[in-house]
Amino acid sequence: MSQADAPVALDIDQLSVVFDTPDGSLAAVNDFSLAIRRGECVGVVGESGAGKSQSFLAVMGLLAANARVSGQARLGTESLIGRDVAELNRFRGVKLSMIFQDPMTSLTPHMTVGEQIAESIIHHLGSSAEAARARALALLEQVQVTDAPRRLDQYPHELSGGMRQRVMIAIALACDPEVLIADEPTTALDVTIQAQILALLATLKRERGMAMALITHDLGVVAGIADRVAVMYAGRVVELGTVHEVLKAPKHPYTAALLASMPRIDDAGTGPLPAIGGQPPNPRRLPSGCAFGPRCAYADDACRAERPSLIGPSSIEGTRSVACHHPLDGTRHAREST
Amino acid sequence: MTEPLLQLRDLRVWFPVGEGLFRAKRNLRAVDGIDLQVAPGEALGIVGESGCGKSTLARAILRLVRSSGGQILWLGRPIEGWSTARVRPLRRDMQIVFQDPLASLDPRMTVGEIVAEPLRVHARDLSRAERRERVVDMLARVGLPADVVNRYPHEFSGGQCQRIGIARAMVLRPKLLVCDEPVSALDVSIQAQIVNLLQDLKRDFGMTILFVSHNLAVVRRLCDRVLVLYLGKPMELASTDLLYSQPRHPYTQGLLAAVPVPDPDLQPQRLGGALGGELPSPLAPPSGCVFRTRCAHAVAACAAAAPQLQPVEGGHEVACDRWRDIGPYGATP
Ligand SMILES: Nc1ncnc2c1ncn2[C@@H]1O[C@H](COP(=O)(O)OP(=O)(O)OP(=O)(O)O)[C@@H](O)[C@H]1O
Ligand SMILES: Nc1ncnc2c1ncn2[C@@H]1O[C@H](COP(=O)(O)OP(=O)(O)OP(=O)(O)O)[C@@H](O)[C@H]1O
Ligand code: SF4
Ligand code: SF4
Ligand SMILES: [Mg+2]
Ligand SMILES: [Mg+2]
Repeated sequence: MSQADAPVALDIDQLSVVFDTPDGSLAAVNDFSLAIRRGECVGVVGESGAGKSQSFLAVMGLLAANARVSGQARLGTESLIGRDVAELNRFRGVKLSMIFQDPMTSLTPHMTVGEQIAESIIHHLGSSAEAARARALALLEQVQVTDAPRRLDQYPHELSGGMRQRVMIAIALACDPEVLIADEPTTALDVTIQAQILALLATLKRERGMAMALITHDLGVVAGIADRVAVMYAGRVVELGTVHEVLKAPKHPYTAALLASMPRIDDAGTGPLPAIGGQPPNPRRLPSGCAFGPRCAYADDACRAERPSLIGPSSIEGTRSVACHHPLDGTRHAREST
Repeated sequence: MTEPLLQLRDLRVWFPVGEGLFRAKRNLRAVDGIDLQVAPGEALGIVGESGCGKSTLARAILRLVRSSGGQILWLGRPIEGWSTARVRPLRRDMQIVFQDPLASLDPRMTVGEIVAEPLRVHARDLSRAERRERVVDMLARVGLPADVVNRYPHEFSGGQCQRIGIARAMVLRPKLLVCDEPVSALDVSIQAQIVNLLQDLKRDFGMTILFVSHNLAVVRRLCDRVLVLYLGKPMELASTDLLYSQPRHPYTQGLLAAVPVPDPDLQPQRLGGALGGELPSPLAPPSGCVFRTRCAHAVAACAAAAPQLQPVEGGHEVACDRWRDIGPYGATP
């Protein structure tokens, strides 16, 4: 199935986030644009501090008080940026839901699982308590919580990490959202439980035609369930395309280097890994020109002089965009770069 | 064969835990019957899901936690009953690197003081100048310039703090380096740097490494042999080659299948083959084979008796009575 002509569910346009801090301002997200269609999952990858979470917290209206946002984000025809809390609450948890890495911080410790799911249903859909509890049970079964009737009356601390994440997903799905944003939903879990949760998310996306943004630092996670992927570095998208384009033939040197540096379970090699040198940049002291320049094997004077802008699909074949003065030709195998 | 550096015989670590106010204490069997020989210069990976006893096993070997039964032999001598005072000289030869690089470094000490600390305790005859030289040499070895000695841990990134932690652990040239999830807290691009550093140090200093990790891809890269744990018990022990290409235990097979690969042609199908279920409560482990509640191959007999580790070939051992029927099924096609 192709999502290419499905309607756009979430349209993020030129979004920027700046934080005011005692040491001056910090540009966390710059010109972030991404349209996610119904039934499509876009993976958002990058290292710690790349701006993945802040981009989508901005969309949710959940940024810290010292943040300034510019740009636009639309859910269908409704714009999301600059709305007050009361207005946003008409969408949040209803048409637009978000789940996080640590379910424990999002769940209320002294309420049972059933109460928490039902609360959201009663609040947003105005159901009766009885109907809400029945729906809570159905949702728990849908997210494959074992022993669902008993779980309704348990407290979060009585559940395993994987079960808690399933409960979070159930709450997020309670009102049939059009868009689900998942911020590192499996990072804190064992690989075995991660695979179960990802399989569940893939099924939900397919069956409900939901649009999904999946934030992760793991390219393997993206390869499993995303249709497209946006690679972020230092607050900007540096490469965007289908998972096949980006993971099979990366054009941005950072994407290629990241792929090459990851040890793979299906690789019997024992030599040194082609590591990326240096450190991820400090957002307060970005290098001039291309932010990846100091760590890039292809950097030259042009890279140091001018920051490359994200060039869209019109000037490059396929659906891919890339922000690089010297993009790789895309045929080079990722392992051979750097 | 050279004498093993370390031998474990039926090693057990049980924690007495109270369930509720008036209930009797029960034993949580965090490590339950580990037999193992580790050769000098070998890198042994210890893997398994969270709570399966990896850290407890490592800590028991370092005598940071008391074992409840069995033996730990260090260069042939049983050390498990030794007092703290008697163990102290051994610490010189056994060092540890922790998961959280920043939290494991004292914020009030300079990097130079942190790396010099083990020398101050264990190599008292060194002069100040000699100590400083050893510290600077070791820092250079882990890729840090000499001028970091006067700076404090908070000034460094996670990857750099991990280098400092490794320098501190290596400055005494220990025979055994225990690494408990040393790259798990690091950025993806930094993980490879640290894995390469550990590989270099192992080649140059020839120390033995116990590498505790839930990252099976990193273990494949770095380790010579791998021990797979489940609920404190050994499931499989094999050379890295055999474990990854021909895993015999259904648990190992399930673990390997769950690790994502960054290839959109392979990964969507792999998701479907993930191991189901969750780790049972360690306070009420299943009877017989502890893995049977999640095992697709379980039969009635599996509930009756716990399978012992049994030889497959070439030092490969598996704790499953049905391994001949199940067949190898690995991560490499
Ligand atoms: N309230 C705040 N004030 C100042 N800076 C902030 C604030 N919140 C976030 N930042 C900064 O914004 C940048 C982007 O952060 P973000 O949380 O989006 O990173 P991320 O890509 O999600 O990383 P991670 O993988 O660690 O979650 C970081 O440099 C972070 O330190
Ligand atoms: N001091 C203790 N008292 C009681 N139980 C303990 C103690 N330390 C560990 N445990 C329990 O022993 C079991 C094994 O824990 P351990 O920390 O060794 O697991 P692990 O494999 O290192 O897990 P992780 O991957 O989460 O670090 C767990 O059930 C844990 O809760
Ligand atoms: S613009 Fe230059 S420095 Fe930046 S990624 Fe491309 S080649 Fe490297
Ligand atoms: S002994 Fe039985 S339950 Fe245990 S791993 Fe083998 S087949 Fe599965
Ligand atoms: Mg984040
Ligand atoms: Mg541990």
